[in-house]
Amino acid sequence: MLRWILKTLWLQKPSLLASAAGVAGAFVLVVILHAVFVGESRQVVAYVRHTAADVWVMQRGVGNMHMANSFVWDSKVKRIAELPGVRAATPILYSGIVVRTPGRRWLAFAVGLQRGATRGGPWAMAAGRTTPGPGEIVVPRVFADMAGVALGGRVSVTGRILEVVGLSEGSFSMGNSVVFMAASDLAELMSAQGTVSYIIVDAQPGQDGAGLAARIEQAVDKVSALPAERFIRNDYQLAMQMGTEIIAFMTLIGAGLAAVIIAFTAYSQVARRRRELAIAKALGVRNRAIYAAVGLQTLVITGLGLALALLAAWGLFPLLSALVPQITLVVTAEAMWRAAAVALVVASISAWIPARYVARVDPLTAFKG
Amino acid sequence: MDTPLLQVNKLSKTFGSGHTEVRAVDDVSLDVRRGELILMMGPSGSGKTTLVSMLGTLLRPSGGRIVLDGTVVTRLGEAALPTLRARKIGFVFQAFNLMEALTVEENVLFPAQLAPGGIAQAKPRADELLARLGLDGRRRALPPTLSGGEKQRVAIARALINAPPLILADEPTGNLDSQSGQEVVMILHDAAREAGCAVVIVTHDPRVEEVADRILWLEDGRLRDRRDEGHAWTRCPVCGMRVDEWTAQHVAEHAGERAVFCSQRCRERFVENPVAYAA
Repeated sequence: MLRWILKTLWLQKPSLLASAAGVAGAFVLVVILHAVFVGESRQVVAYVRHTAADVWVMQRGVGNMHMANSFVWDSKVKRIAELPGVRAATPILYSGIVVRTPGRRWLAFAVGLQRGATRGGPWAMAAGRTTPGPGEIVVPRVFADMAGVALGGRVSVTGRILEVVGLSEGSFSMGNSVVFMAASDLAELMSAQGTVSYIIVDAQPGQDGAGLAARIEQAVDKVSALPAERFIRNDYQLAMQMGTEIIAFMTLIGAGLAAVIIAFTAYSQVARRRRELAIAKALGVRNRAIYAAVGLQTLVITGLGLALALLAAWGLFPLLSALVPQITLVVTAEAMWRAAAVALVVASISAWIPARYVARVDPLTAFKG
Repeated sequence: MDTPLLQVNKLSKTFGSGHTEVRAVDDVSLDVRRGELILMMGPSGSGKTTLVSMLGTLLRPSGGRIVLDGTVVTRLGEAALPTLRARKIGFVFQAFNLMEALTVEENVLFPAQLAPGGIAQAKPRADELLARLGLDGRRRALPPTLSGGEKQRVAIARALINAPPLILADEPTGNLDSQSGQEVVMILHDAAREAGCAVVIVTHDPRVEEVADRILWLEDGRLRDRRDEGHAWTRCPVCGMRVDEWTAQHVAEHAGERAVFCSQRCRERFVENPVAYAA
């Protein structure tokens, strides 16, 4: 039976390939959507992850950074820096802004850096300086390329003209691009003089982040202090919550599309072999063996489609990243497992339709010339 | 006297009901013994295929009883029938019905997967059948590359692979030329005589009558005495097979005499050396 099914599929190579390509198309959609989602979600925490602080301190009640507002009196920076176990405390300002160039606007999050700050700035540079002074800005290289801005060029942030002095790498995404400005400029834009948004705390060697965070909360009024891993997790979970429903819906659409293609393909393969199925039944093959054969056939088509999809995705991702740099794509092992699991479910559901057809095939058909 | 392999008792099949009711097979009884070759003839629509379908357990009778090799098959549930068919019945169809994607050898071995020993145990028998039916050199060929005669020989080998006691052949010569048809008939004849199978052949082909032990005539769903009017029987001068002079396709003249042959092959042999065969 196995040999019969596989050889029959192989005999109809163009049809098999067309079916697998159709299935692959649907799965490519699923894999790419997931890659976009994961890529963008990871970009949400790119800044806090690369900053590599031990503890993040913020306004009490605030637990994350992405799209959050936090105000802490700047006097608390000194207080925290003097606590035992703290090696350094670096304040930053943080706010959502719109960066304008002629013909282009882009929503970004601005990080305001103190003069001469060695912490909290961009983690990778394409060109220029990492620390902007007053009237200066560091923008993502991808944004600069899209906007046609080079080093020394000008951008506008809430009516203030700033000179581009640095182009950062890895800081651009559709939902969470990060630019770097002087804290004084950002404070003026936010009307937040005398305050900071977050304090990046570096611990003394051998200090535990969670313990230090607890001690900071005890010693300093009206602040929340979180160890870095929890702070990152909070932001990541928020990003996931924001996109999970959309991605689940998209996955459902992709899987549904794949199911329709597979079911149609399997059905047409079976319908085309109606006579051979009747012969097999007449010769004594049981319905359940034919169901298994149809299931196997569906699995082969799905598996081939999935393999083609992964191959296509592997080839497409670098191309997509080059063509659409504003999208961050990340393929994870989880995405592959998810696609395989979806494929298995889709194949099982799709096999049901041709199996019903098989059950109705009358072995008497074999007698009809 | 041994028990017949196949016992059919008052078998009937009705299609439709009320005004549209048709009795395709009506109160048919017959016994077929091992080693016996039975010919079932009759006009189109007489119920031959319906009867053979019921004998092959592919169609449930409306009434009556079929006993095959001691098993009352009309009492078996649907679940038991595929196994019975796989082990007890070999089918030969007019349209050959080979699996297009499988080679000659794989087609022959196809029913073996349904038998207890499986394909591995059936392999030597397949080799023997392929050799005996002249298909040894074609074992790797796919059905579309075979001639009609070869296809039917493959189908017969497939029918014989599980050594079933009953062979049911529906118009096995219907799509074959004269020579191939004759070969197929002789192979089925051998299956009855040498392998001891009971062979039931449904056909319109009068040439097959020569090898049949019994000829049954089915008309309007009922088995009747065979009608043999309408034939002018003579003998093929080469092989001695009985040929209907009125419908014979292969004819030759020799010394002012008209001779008719059962097949093109016999005619060619005669033409090569008529003196050897002229009476």
